[in-house]
Amino acid sequence: MNRNPYLQKQPANWWVKNPYYRFYMLREGTAIPLFLYSLLLLYGVYALTQGESAFNQWIALLRSPGMIIFQLITFLAAVFHAYTWFELVPKILVLRIGNHRVPDVLIKVSHWGACIFCTVMILVSAIYFL
Amino acid sequence: MKNYQRSNEPVAWSLFGAGGMVLALVTPALVIVTALILPFLPNADPGHSYRVILSFAQNWLGKLILLAVISLHFYHTAHRLYHGLHDLHIHGPDKVMKSIFYGGATLLSLLTAYWLFTL
Repeated sequence: MNRNPYLQKQPANWWVKNPYYRFYMLREGTAIPLFLYSLLLLYGVYALTQGESAFNQWIALLRSPGMIIFQLITFLAAVFHAYTWFELVPKILVLRIGNHRVPDVLIKVSHWGACIFCTVMILVSAIYFL
Repeated sequence: MKNYQRSNEPVAWSLFGAGGMVLALVTPALVIVTALILPFLPNADPGHSYRVILSFAQNWLGKLILLAVISLHFYHTAHRLYHGLHDLHIHGPDKVMKSIFYGGATLLSLLTAYWLFTL
């Protein structure tokens, strides 16, 4: 005899009421603007293959008010992603020196240091070379 | 003896993890470049930025950096969107959904590689 398995009903809006789940969904939701931004970058690579005037049109697109607002949202999503990512890293990356575990704070701080280093390097070279 | 099928989750997760690191380290600065520096930098010669970026993309190391950054963006976000739809109770046949998201990220990465290597 076949019996139907019991399925616990979970409403699709299960995450709305609990602040911890809302935070989780916001973190996962950063993927939406970041994905769209990757398409914008891909379009830039395509424009680069089409020559100078096509590339200037891409830069004009970056300058349009809609894209400025979109990129502001993307920037906030990227920074929020970075914050949640560096919170996550010490849970995955467990380093030991002898019998001692490297403290979470040290791993987080070193990742923030790397982030600031990359940011400064990219901005300085962009301003210098472009 | 039953032949167990190896899960492809570790591959997806590695690309997700690498993408997460790129997004955390590089993307905030990259957005500042494309939103503020590239379009608003007061520059006497408008073709200058184009030539600098073109020569960066024509260099093999530059190509590799651009390809890694853009394709890992795609793999990371595809992984999150795939699992996000599950969280929102939006379901489809697993093979179809995986083909759309991970296959889509792969196709977009190949397209990026193709355009970069034609430069």
